[in-house]
Parts: sequence; C-alpha cells; structure tokens
Amino acid sequence: MKEKLISFIDKKLQRFDPVWLAENGLGGQRTRYRDDGSGIARYREWRGVEDTFQDYVAWLKNVGYMGAMVARDPVKVMKGIWEYRWMGSFLGSFAFVDRIYEGYRGRELDIANIHGNAIVRILTLRIGLILHNDKRLGGGEMTDKMIGLDETIPPLFTAGFPTLNAEPMQTMPEFVVCDVDQHLDPYYIDVAESYGLAPDVCSRCSAETGVAIDDAFPVFGKLVLSTNQPCNASEATSMFQRRRFRQKGIEDYPFVFAMQHNTKNGNDYSREELRQAIEKIEEVYNVKYDWNALFEKAKNMNHQNQIELEKWEIFATPFSPLSGINESLYKLVEWALVNGHDEYFNEIDDKVIGIMRQAVRDQYQPYKGKTRHRAFLWGPSAMYYTDFPTWAQNCWGIDIVLNMDSTMGHNMINTEDPEQALTDLAKFSEKGVMRHHAVGGWDNVNAVWEWANRLNCDMVICNDNVACKGMNGVHALLEEQAADLGFDFLFLPHDLEDCRTIPRKEIRKAVNDYMMIVKGEEPLDATLVDFDDAEAW
Amino acid sequence: MKKLIGFVFKLVRRVITIGVVAFVLTFGIYMSNAENKLIYDVVRPFLTKHYDKQARDRRI
Amino acid sequence: MHDLKHTLFFETLLEEPFNDLVKQAVEDGDVALGYNCYYIPETLLNLPGSFSSRLRAPNCSTTPIGDYYLTNRNCPYTRAILERAVEGSYNYLSALFGAEACSAMERMEEHFEQISPVKHDPFVTTIIDAPLKNDRAALVYYMNELRDKVLANLATLGIDTSDDALLAAIKDHNEVSAIITEIGDFRKLDNPTVTGYEFHLIQLVSEVCPHKLILPYLRETLEEIRDRAPDAKPEFRARVILAGSEIDDPEFTKLLEFCGARVVGDRYCFGSVPSREQIEVREGESPFEAICRHYLETNLCARFMSEEKIDQRTDVLEAMVKEYKADGVVVESMKFCEFWSYEKVLASHILSEERGIPTCQIEKDYTLTGAGQLRTRFQAFVEGLEIKRLEKTGKGATS
Repeated sequence: MKEKLISFIDKKLQRFDPVWLAENGLGGQRTRYRDDGSGIARYREWRGVEDTFQDYVAWLKNVGYMGAMVARDPVKVMKGIWEYRWMGSFLGSFAFVDRIYEGYRGRELDIANIHGNAIVRILTLRIGLILHNDKRLGGGEMTDKMIGLDETIPPLFTAGFPTLNAEPMQTMPEFVVCDVDQHLDPYYIDVAESYGLAPDVCSRCSAETGVAIDDAFPVFGKLVLSTNQPCNASEATSMFQRRRFRQKGIEDYPFVFAMQHNTKNGNDYSREELRQAIEKIEEVYNVKYDWNALFEKAKNMNHQNQIELEKWEIFATPFSPLSGINESLYKLVEWALVNGHDEYFNEIDDKVIGIMRQAVRDQYQPYKGKTRHRAFLWGPSAMYYTDFPTWAQNCWGIDIVLNMDSTMGHNMINTEDPEQALTDLAKFSEKGVMRHHAVGGWDNVNAVWEWANRLNCDMVICNDNVACKGMNGVHALLEEQAADLGFDFLFLPHDLEDCRTIPRKEIRKAVNDYMMIVKGEEPLDATLVDFDDAEAW
Repeated sequence: MKKLIGFVFKLVRRVITIGVVAFVLTFGIYMSNAENKLIYDVVRPFLTKHYDKQARDRRI
Repeated sequence: MHDLKHTLFFETLLEEPFNDLVKQAVEDGDVALGYNCYYIPETLLNLPGSFSSRLRAPNCSTTPIGDYYLTNRNCPYTRAILERAVEGSYNYLSALFGAEACSAMERMEEHFEQISPVKHDPFVTTIIDAPLKNDRAALVYYMNELRDKVLANLATLGIDTSDDALLAAIKDHNEVSAIITEIGDFRKLDNPTVTGYEFHLIQLVSEVCPHKLILPYLRETLEEIRDRAPDAKPEFRARVILAGSEIDDPEFTKLLEFCGARVVGDRYCFGSVPSREQIEVREGESPFEAICRHYLETNLCARFMSEEKIDQRTDVLEAMVKEYKADGVVVESMKFCEFWSYEKVLASHILSEERGIPTCQIEKDYTLTGAGQLRTRFQAFVEGLEIKRLEKTGKGATS
C-alpha cells in the first residue's frame, strides 16, 4: 500500500525531478536554478518521495548541528561571524551540501547524507571550539591548551597529549571554506599580492599568506607547528605565517618531513623530526607524551584504514554507491582533520561499508546505471570546484572512482611498541594531503596507471593546477604515458583556490570539449553542459 | 481517568499539531530553498559590506 | 680602469657549457659531473680524476622543448637547462647530481633520466632529498643522502672517494675560494678595483670550469687586480648588493652597473655568498662530514624553514651591506620561482622596514628579456639611493 502510494506521488511529481526531466529531454538540473549566475536554486531538487524525505531529514540534522554550535556559545559565534570574513563564507554551507550531492539517488544518497552529516557535525564542533577559545574573542578554558597545527600535518600523533587539543590553523580560515565559497580566497590572495607576492605562486599558499597579512587567523595556543607539507609554496608561506603567530605571542616550530618519502633515509628523517616535534610540545606545554593515549586513537585510525582498504576493493567493481566527491570530501575530512581522534567516524565507516557490501551482494547499479566512464582523478583538485565530480557524473556519466588524495597514508600503526609506532606514524604522516603522489619523485606520479588499472578505470583526469610547479613538470611525460597505455586522458586546468584565473565554466569546458570532440558523446543532461555559475558560492 | 485520557489526547493532539506545523514550515523552507535565498540575497551582502569596511591590522 | 687580461677569455668560457677548458679536461680523461644547486657540494665532485660543472644555459632565448615537458608556467632556468640538454649541450657529462630543493628543479632533473637527453656512456642521474633545517637530524639526513646517492655513484664511475681524495678536494676548494674571496674583497674598497661584472665572470668560471685548469687564470687575475689602479673618479653612483635566485648571466650584472650601480656583493644561487667560504675539518670530523656540515651551515637557500636559517638569510645580507658599504640591496626573483617570490617580499620587508636598508624588488626571466623595464627600475632605484646619500651627507639638501 505504502509503496503504491509513494509510486503514485512519484509519478505525479516526476516533472519536478531534474533527472527525469533530463532523461526525457524536458530540462535537467539547471532548470530549477535562477538564471543570474548566483547558483541559487529556485527550489530544491525533487528526488522522489523517499529520497527527498531522506535528504530533508539530513538537512534538518545539519540545521541542528549548526544550531547546536550557536547555542553552545552564541556570543562568540556571533563575534566570530562579525570578526572573520571567512566565517561569513561558512553561511554558504547549506548550498554547498546541495551542490555536491546533486542528482544523487538511492544508496549514493544514503551514504552522501551519512557523510554529509558527519562532516557538518565535525566542522561545527571544531569551529565552535576554535571560536570559543579564540583569544581575540575573549578566550576560553582551552585557549592555552591548544596546539596550532599546519593543516597539512596529520594530527594523529597529538593524541599522545590527551590534555591538549590540536587544531589546524588554516583549515577554517582558508582551506575547507574555499570548498564552500569560491569567492573568499581571492580576497586573501589579493591581500598577499598587494604586498608584492607574485601571482604565479600556488594560490592556496598565497591565500594563507593573505590570511596572515590580514590578521585573520584565530588566536589560540602557545605553539604552532608549521611544516613543509605538501610542497615548496607551503614551506615559503610558513615563513610569513610564523611572523604573524609570533606577533600574537605564539611560538612557531617547523615540523618538516622528507620530500622523498619513499626511501629509508627519508623515513628515518621524518621519524626523527616527529620525535623532535613531540619533544617541543612537551617542553612548551610542560606535559609528558602518553603513548597509551596515542595507541587508543591509533586503533581508530587503523580501523579506518582497514575499512579504507576494503573500500578500494569495492571501488574496483561497478557496484560501488560511493564515489566522486562523496568519497573524497569525507575521506579528506576524516583523514586530515579527524585522523583517528573521533570514534564517531569509525561508526560512520562501519555503517557505510555495510551499505557498500550489500551493494556488491545486490550487484547494485549506482547512478541508475548511467555511468559511461570510470575515471581516476589525479593531481590536486580545484578547491573552488568541489562539486566537479558530481557535475562530471550528472553531465557526462563520468564516475570519479577515486581521487589521488584519497590514497593518503594508509599503513597500520603499531599500538604496542612506541618505537615502532613512531616509525609507522612518520611513514603515515609524510604521505599527507596533496603529497602522497604529487611530490617525492616521478615514480609517485607515475603510480596513476597502476591505480587506474587496479580500479578498472578507462579514463584518467589529471588536475592541472596551473601554479603547481611540481605537477607542471610532468605534463608531457603523463600525456605520453597515457597515449602508450591507451587511457582516455585529459588535463583539467584550474588555479586551486583562485576561481578568477580559470573559472568553473572553463574547467567544465575542458571536459565538454573532450567528450564531444574526442569521444563524440552526447551529454546525459544537456542543461549542465554550459551554464553560468560565476557568482555562485 | 477521563480527565487523564482527555489530557493525554490533548497532549498528543498538541504534539501532532506542533509536529505538523514544524514539518510544514521546515519542509517548506527546505523545498523552497528559502534559507539559501535569504543568506545569498540579504545576509551575505550585508556582511560583505561590513567586512569591506573593517580596519584590519595588515602587515607582514 | 683598464680591462683585465682574461676578461675576454672568461666571457668566451661562459658562452658554452662545453667550453675549451671542459673539453680539455674531458680529453685528459677527467670525469665531468653536472649539478644545479648548492645543496650538491661542489667539493664532493672535484675529486682527483673528476670535476664539477654547474649547469648553465647561456644564450638560450627560447625553450620549446622545455615548455613541452615542463610547461611554460614553470621555472625558466629549468626549462632552459632541459632545452639545452635535449640539444646536446651536456653530452660531455658522466652524471647529473640533482637535489629536490625545489619541485621545478627536481622535475627537470628527473627528465635527465626519463628521456635520456644526455648522450654519454656512462651517464647517471640521481636526486638527493635536501633538508630544511640545520640541526643534527638534518645533517645526518643530508650525509646519508649524499653518501648513498652521490658518493656511491661516484664510486661506480671509478672515482676515488677515500678520505685522502676528499681532503684533496677540500684543499682545492679552499684554494679556489681564497683567491675568489680576495678578489671579491677588492669590492669593499671605497673605489673598488674590480667591477661587479668582472667578479661575476670570475665566480662563474670557477663554477663551470675544471678547477685545475682555471686556477692559473684565477691566480693571474688576482695578481693583476692587486696592482690595478682604480678609476680616478668612480663611475658608479651607488653601491648595491645583488641577492636572488639563479643569476648566471653576467650581462644582468652589467645591466645593473650600466644603470649607475656598482654590484659590490653577490648573494644569489651562482654567487660567491655562499660558495667561497673556507671548509674547515674540525677535530673528530671526517672530511666527508666536514664537507656536508659546511654546505648545510653556509647554505642560504630560501627554502630553509628553521628560525636561525631564516634569520641567517637577512642577517647575512645586512652584514654584507655593512661590510661592502652598500647603499642598498636589489632582491631578484625568477619568474615562477615559489621560494624567491616569497623571499623577495619577506627579505625586502625586513631589510627596508625593520633594518632601514633601501631595497629594490625585481622579477625577471632567466634570459634578459624585459631589459628595458629592468633598466627603468634600476635607474630609479639608483637615483633614489643617490639622493638618500646626498641628503645624508648634506650635499643634496634642497631648500
């Protein structure tokens, strides 16, 4: 009876379903958007009764998480929004969630909403914590017990300081917020360039420099660990940031990792660096490192990585309801921000792997079986176009099976022997965000073909960050390799965090041109081929 | 007993009414994308104006 | 001042990587070892039977092959080197020792292995990882990398890497450095008896030619400068220190001097600071360790992240300004250079705002394209320095 009723309503309302509209040549995803380039939809996506209701519940949960963040300390949150430009950008979060999961149905949507809620939960908790303890806003009980970490340092090792709280410095003001609002970082980039920084440096690091110059970092802790991760520009911007931290009375300590991280010498060096960083924290905060506390959280991380390895097996099949941005954004948050510190994420992993196992058993066809190409997305992705994989699937049926960054450190960490744990942690930590494959030599880059084969991909899309000197340096070699090995291969030009250099529309054009001219294919949703979202968040 | 049943009935009715109103309201906001429209058209322009006027301690 | 006897010869030596002296050494059976960066100690390559050759790409005006492999939005020095490699300019080399100091350099060096542009048998390429601090852990890492990747490869090329050989290399380094340092010291005079351009030539030939063959010319040049009479009236209007990245074109120094500056100090990748300091073998140290420690300590690369190394960079510049009585500093960065883009801004800020030293920031290509713009910048800077000096001495006070 219930099914009949749902089916009846679905039938009546299907003309509001953009997927149905596209299938029937009557419109598509962009039909419901305002045509002012704002990226604001006139109404939310109708996905059928069940999926719409499920998405509505997930939305309500997100409203709840945000409400809870404000309720915990309304004054500081309001002060934060008033003080920090980047806090204003977080108001685009609802639209962001809609954007990245657009067109999702069934089990893809189930997982997306589980992930989406987990991400919003952790971000609101962390933003709330940072604002509550921000000296600039009055400080809190944890202010002096916080350690500032460069966002690219995996925070797992700080679990050995259970009385302290390590927070990434740049994640909120510059990094993750660029996912939410493409127009924020250009402001900070302009600030940096107004002080003479060349426009051809990596825009992520330029934006970080701008945040430092603009005095827009939250102020907490006694020590910030800066780092050379992932690459040259990160090393260089650290030198600007440390000056600002010092002006705020916060000490800076460079915690560096071997660039060539696949060698014994490199691992030994990173291990020694890790040991010294731990000693530095002990000295500054007058606390002793607690190995047992680390082991507890390392178990979480190992659990996460065990599931991750199983996920990779499922990704190799055509039945995975987890892929694209749903996979990579969650992975990024879980790996780089949570990093074993929060058991809640283990529960999420257990839940999701359950859905995935079932999908394999049922030989489930994700994206209504419309996938035409299985692609590996290589190289650092455009932060201002997080929903690119969603668009690629919806428009062209290109399923981004996995993203380079999702292959970050996945070795298990010994949970009994401190010395071995240190070695494992060093190995794990030096294969961080944008780094595992992008630096450390040609072999790391060249691993793309192995990955693509392993996951049964027929296509490799290589992010072409125009300012990334390291990845620029392998352009022709990659292209020649692709031709030799018979992969569909295309470069996706972007400027990482500066949407003005190569707007989203141009990124899409690179794919459109390839799909239409080289592959001679027709889009799944014609409204998605060419549209204006220049003014969108 | 009758009073108690009446009370429970009233309570249930009130809960259902509140639930229905809350659902209609939130689902209405959700489907009409009202919160995003409000933020995009009103809140952000206001905040951006404020941020642009801020005096910040800019230096290297 | 009269021209130095060997100026023309030095200029000719810098016209091509495979110059007459390199040719002669190779014909004599010496092994030519290429490198690009200060992280590879030149001294380790100047062992008995081998010589170092720091790679330049003189007169490389376009880089289509370099652009193809590395894209045209990458470091122009690396593109030019790769271009020249493919053209066959480095076919005399038996090895390229690279350092992952910056990504662009590392990728370029990788191509020496991937596309085998150097036609020489044997030819080996290896790239060390380079530490970012100067502490014990960093030194151990640096030593391990140099031992496993440089010394090990030298041994396979049949080069003696014993302590005696390394001591001989240190002696050779110290001798070349002593001569260059003494020549450079003449730039400290109120009326210097060597120009920045000449010194640039001398420093460069010492980096690209076999030491044993260039040494006689360097000695002779030193003697000549010792007795050289300065111009009665100095030609320059201001004294500057030149700091920056890969400046291996003496024409750039000439351009700056043509605009009225005298380059009295060279603190850039191909310059004498660092590179011509004496290596000291301390008690209990092996010659190898002494070399590694020396190069790590003196290295002023803009990528170092530890506090003392960051401070060292501007401290050295400030000290040079005092020692060489410079009026200001020109800080150069190469287009697309991540490190120097940042360092240029930071160093200029610290020097000018915090230490009161006038600074001029410029960005340039590897080759001297855009010389017109640079000339305008330099002229304005020199004029500014001149006015400042006149105001200081009271001679230029205006009513």
